[in-house]
Amino acid sequence: MSAQNSTAQTADPRVRQPEAVVGLSRSEEDIIKVLWDVTGNDAFSLKAPRRIEGVVDSDKLHDFAFLIWSRVGFQHLSAISCVDWLAEGEFELIYHFWSYRDSCLVSAKTRISRDSALIATVSDIWQPASFFERDVHEMFGVVFEGNSDLEKYILTDWDGPPPMRKDFVTRDFAHNHFHFRDYEPDWDELVKGGYHSNRGEGGTDV
Amino acid sequence: MSELVTAHDGRSLMPGAKSLENREYNLFIGPNHPGIEGNFALKLTLEGDTIVKAKTEAGFLHRGFEKLMEERLFIQNIAIVCRICVPDPDPNEENYARAIEVLADIEVPRRAQFIRVLVLELSRLASHLFTFGGHAGTIGLYTMPNWSISDRDRVLDLFEELTGGRVYHIYNMPGGVRRDFPDGFASRVRDVLEYIEGRLPDYDNLFFNNKILHKRAIGIGVLPPDRAMEWGTTGPNLRAAGFAHDVRKDDPYEVYDELDFEIPTLTDSDAYSRLMIRRKELVQTIGIIRQVLDKIPEGPVWNKQPNPLKWRVPAGDVYVRSESSKGEYAYYMVSDGGVRPYRVHVRGASVTHGVHILENMLVGTRIEDASQLMFSLDACPPEVDR
Repeated sequence: MSAQNSTAQTADPRVRQPEAVVGLSRSEEDIIKVLWDVTGNDAFSLKAPRRIEGVVDSDKLHDFAFLIWSRVGFQHLSAISCVDWLAEGEFELIYHFWSYRDSCLVSAKTRISRDSALIATVSDIWQPASFFERDVHEMFGVVFEGNSDLEKYILTDWDGPPPMRKDFVTRDFAHNHFHFRDYEPDWDELVKGGYHSNRGEGGTDV
Repeated sequence: MSELVTAHDGRSLMPGAKSLENREYNLFIGPNHPGIEGNFALKLTLEGDTIVKAKTEAGFLHRGFEKLMEERLFIQNIAIVCRICVPDPDPNEENYARAIEVLADIEVPRRAQFIRVLVLELSRLASHLFTFGGHAGTIGLYTMPNWSISDRDRVLDLFEELTGGRVYHIYNMPGGVRRDFPDGFASRVRDVLEYIEGRLPDYDNLFFNNKILHKRAIGIGVLPPDRAMEWGTTGPNLRAAGFAHDVRKDDPYEVYDELDFEIPTLTDSDAYSRLMIRRKELVQTIGIIRQVLDKIPEGPVWNKQPNPLKWRVPAGDVYVRSESSKGEYAYYMVSDGGVRPYRVHVRGASVTHGVHILENMLVGTRIEDASQLMFSLDACPPEVDR
């Protein structure tokens, strides 16, 4: 039974163990070389100890992510960060990959146009990416092609534009959508006759 | 089926259940948290008592911190970031301060680095005690919360003495920490550590060796070890699945590489293992704090910075990571050279634990375990909402 179970588990395509998970850890220079060999991308360089950074074209990002997971051994997608560069008219997406084997972080940066903010999902490689992408979609309006779950999560009742965009001005939105209330009570009136004058008989608030 | 749902006089007891397809029903838990960490909702689809589908719903604690931080000065945000995780606020402060230090190339005095480690570990201690109490509360063992939360109060007393705040400390500043130890503080820390260490056998007798806990938690909510990495598990939950990974060792920050501590691991990966791994970590944490007190050098605690209201952090971006009591914590900060951060992205430990893993893990478990499993993952809703 247990042998059957283990066969069934290895046959399950979702239980894919990436290659190069085990082995001696590599230096940052080696990782940069392997990245170059495997993905053909020579834009990566050492930024700080245990931090490698580089730029990837947005249309090649999914292939890059698959290769870095399957062939370079970066098992953990730490986060997907999004930055709105309003002046350039671009969104910058930063994928932070962590390798447990090498104790090294690779940050892959890619830029997409603000007008057609569309990029392929990586949730088929890392399942939690589905939620990271949902969050970026909700806050910035970036569409992740292939991610079936981009429903609203945090801002369920929100009908305004994606709020983390730089051209969304919180103060203007509040002025246009909410009624201004002067919340300055007339203290003289309230304290006249002492505190207990505001209370009804039996000590309950009036 | 029909015999099961009709009374002896032929009256239907379940008018909606006309066929087998109608056996499933929805149950909403929350948005008040079944434990004590924050507002979070679960939308469960059940068949009998068994959960067949679980969806999480957050947003009840969304305060737009990331947007707010873009509108405020660097110094003002220190009072915001700690609010992202209530039980364990210090990794936020430390990460935020360290991100600015990396960008602006600010050196932190060694004494301040030791004090930061002390504060981080005290916070871990308080957070784990909180989790013990919360987990016990979800399975009906109500003495444990009273004990562990009153013991946690002793740690909060230390925080109050050192930082002025019990829950939110606003203590880590770019360039160091806000103030040095008060007189006799180190000996009072040792007293509290000794007290908590002396309490651990009591905890074992009351809770960790309790038959009720064993019946309720062993073998429940197994996070399959071969899926743990795929699901993005980090921190104690990953170590309970048998992987010895800890940011403090893998990606050391402050002075963790000078301190001697072990990373405990367990292999069962069930609710009980995830609880026991925190029990083991508590012992390591006490050891780390003692080492800090032994090794802490004399010197300044803050590398004085120019007028904080006019700080300009050089343009650039940085990704800093740390190990909170719940898992991997990270801040991605972008500065455009101005007085405000251009973008701060907070990667809380619970964004994977509280959403993806919880939704997957709950399937197939029973309804009475839902709140326990949420607590065994130590999911902190404000980290998801931000």
